[in-house]
Amino acid sequence: MTAKPSSAPPRPGGLLALGPDESGPPARATPSAPRSPAPRPLLVDLALAVVAVGFGLSVGIALTATSRHQLAAPGGVALFLGNLTGLAGTYLALVMVLLISRIPFVERVLGQDTLLRWHRRLAPWPITLIIAHVVILTIGYAQAARTGILHEIGPLVNGFPDMGIATAGFVLMMAVAIASFYPIRRRIKRENWWGLHLFMYLALALAFAHEIVLGPSFVGHPVTQLVWSVAWAATAGLVLIYRVGLPVVRSIRHGLVVEEIHPEGPDVVSVILRGRHLERLAVSGGQFFEWRFLARGMWWQAHPFSISARPQPPYLRLTVKCVGDFTSALARLPLGTRVALEGPYGTFTAHALRTRKVALIAGGIGVTSVRSLLEDLPKGTRPVVVLRASSEDELVLREEIAELVKWHGGRLHEVVGPRTAQPVEHLTELIGDLHKRDTYVSGSESFVMSVTRLLSVLKVPQEAVHADVYAL
Amino acid sequence: MKRAVIAVVAAVGGFAGVLGFNLGGSRAPLLRSGAPASNPASSPPATTPPTSPGGSTTPTTSAAGGSGPPPTGVRSAVGTTYQYGYGQLAVRVTLNGSSITRVATVGLQTADPYSQQLAQQVIPLLRHEVLAAQSAKVNGFSGATYTSEAYIYSLQSALDKLHKK
Repeated sequence: MTAKPSSAPPRPGGLLALGPDESGPPARATPSAPRSPAPRPLLVDLALAVVAVGFGLSVGIALTATSRHQLAAPGGVALFLGNLTGLAGTYLALVMVLLISRIPFVERVLGQDTLLRWHRRLAPWPITLIIAHVVILTIGYAQAARTGILHEIGPLVNGFPDMGIATAGFVLMMAVAIASFYPIRRRIKRENWWGLHLFMYLALALAFAHEIVLGPSFVGHPVTQLVWSVAWAATAGLVLIYRVGLPVVRSIRHGLVVEEIHPEGPDVVSVILRGRHLERLAVSGGQFFEWRFLARGMWWQAHPFSISARPQPPYLRLTVKCVGDFTSALARLPLGTRVALEGPYGTFTAHALRTRKVALIAGGIGVTSVRSLLEDLPKGTRPVVVLRASSEDELVLREEIAELVKWHGGRLHEVVGPRTAQPVEHLTELIGDLHKRDTYVSGSESFVMSVTRLLSVLKVPQEAVHADVYAL
Repeated sequence: MKRAVIAVVAAVGGFAGVLGFNLGGSRAPLLRSGAPASNPASSPPATTPPTSPGGSTTPTTSAAGGSGPPPTGVRSAVGTTYQYGYGQLAVRVTLNGSSITRVATVGLQTADPYSQQLAQQVIPLLRHEVLAAQSAKVNGFSGATYTSEAYIYSLQSALDKLHKK
């Protein structure tokens, strides 16, 4: 996969033309930055098995903690069920944290969109189970104490150690859960919702002590206590390393600053960054970073943008469509603004190739990841590239794409016009052997959906379809 | 699909592992409730068979009768079974003359293992206090308020049955 210098694709684009002397010769040849390491699915299967075994263990220790005698006592059944739902729910919450902990080898195989989808799908389970845990245990204790359910709340919260903070954690968890409920979530700004969402970590931390101190599966069982504590400590460690530590280290090491911002088309700008040691930043074409522009009012939010070219040390380029407050502010960033980055993420890379025949289909701004991916395609791939836009001047980066396609000996189609005039079905005419190709499709969600739907009608196997959805 | 199979098989495996481990006897479920939290440490083994909670005075030796002003001899009684927030307990007290010689807990039953553990920690302390004070007028332990209250209440009712002030 490592291309020899002689067979490296050309490096078109504004990067090399930077500086006052635009007509000057290209900058000195720089060593090519390494690609993101190859995905290793076996490792992910193994990790999945370990996590699933953990779930089995959690349910198991809930069952074996209760004796038949206790089950028969007043409230015994409810206390047992309360313990079971608590353990199962909390374990699933741990799995949810793991899914978004950005573990590199998992990200490389499953991709962040898949991981986020799993995270979202799983979410109702732990929440429901933990609500059940709280309700059922209150009933159970009320039965055991032969008192009213409402009367039991006070003794439960005050009479046990660590129950006060656990209750606070539960209230926090419910607040975050309600805010994440789709009809409510879509009314909240992404950044605000994200900030609120972070409190889930606090909620889980607050709940931890009462699990260990009061849980029937842990009281008097040092082994289960140890395993449970280690599992949570390890998860917290992963989050700290991969969501905080690594991005900070990487951002400091590369010290990126905004070098130049220039328009590429209507509402589309390229941001060129200058940084150190970019030849050591392992990133594949088609991947993205979470970018954090350290300017007033912007530094606290990170946004995902694809790189629109592989790093050309000391430069790195991203190309952005200005649609919201944030992206519009981006176009007006002062030069020299420092930039922090987290990543790279994404499986929209040449690693996903299964055959030597490739089709790349980009809708609108989706062209950015196709542009950088083109640099990574193995020699002799002869890709068919389709760029779609609603008007001619929205075909951004078209010259660079044309140059790369020519170098690869491929074919380029530019499809311009509203989607009604240019339905995606036209793709089958443009690319006759679409069903035999690895197809990369990028663009807005609706565009990607319509293309993947067409591909599934054509009976293209799912493994041959690689999608990169841009949230606009 | 393949990953779903891996997940299900592994989860069932983990679950079966725990059950197998327990059936193997190395960590048999504890029969927590029912086993009285007796405190055999400093007292001789019980001579009386455990009385049912709330049972009445059971003289062990010839002595006692209810009438004589200062009752003498060795006798014991079980106090009222007291429901406290997280379980129930009753206290059996043994007197020799007018001095408390032995206090034991019968029918300790708790809702959860934590409460059980707490009761087992605090009951010996309470017992020690009672033996020192020779009455039910002792302080409870903070952190185990409910258990202490139940213990003291049941003890007092047992002492009442034996007509000890």
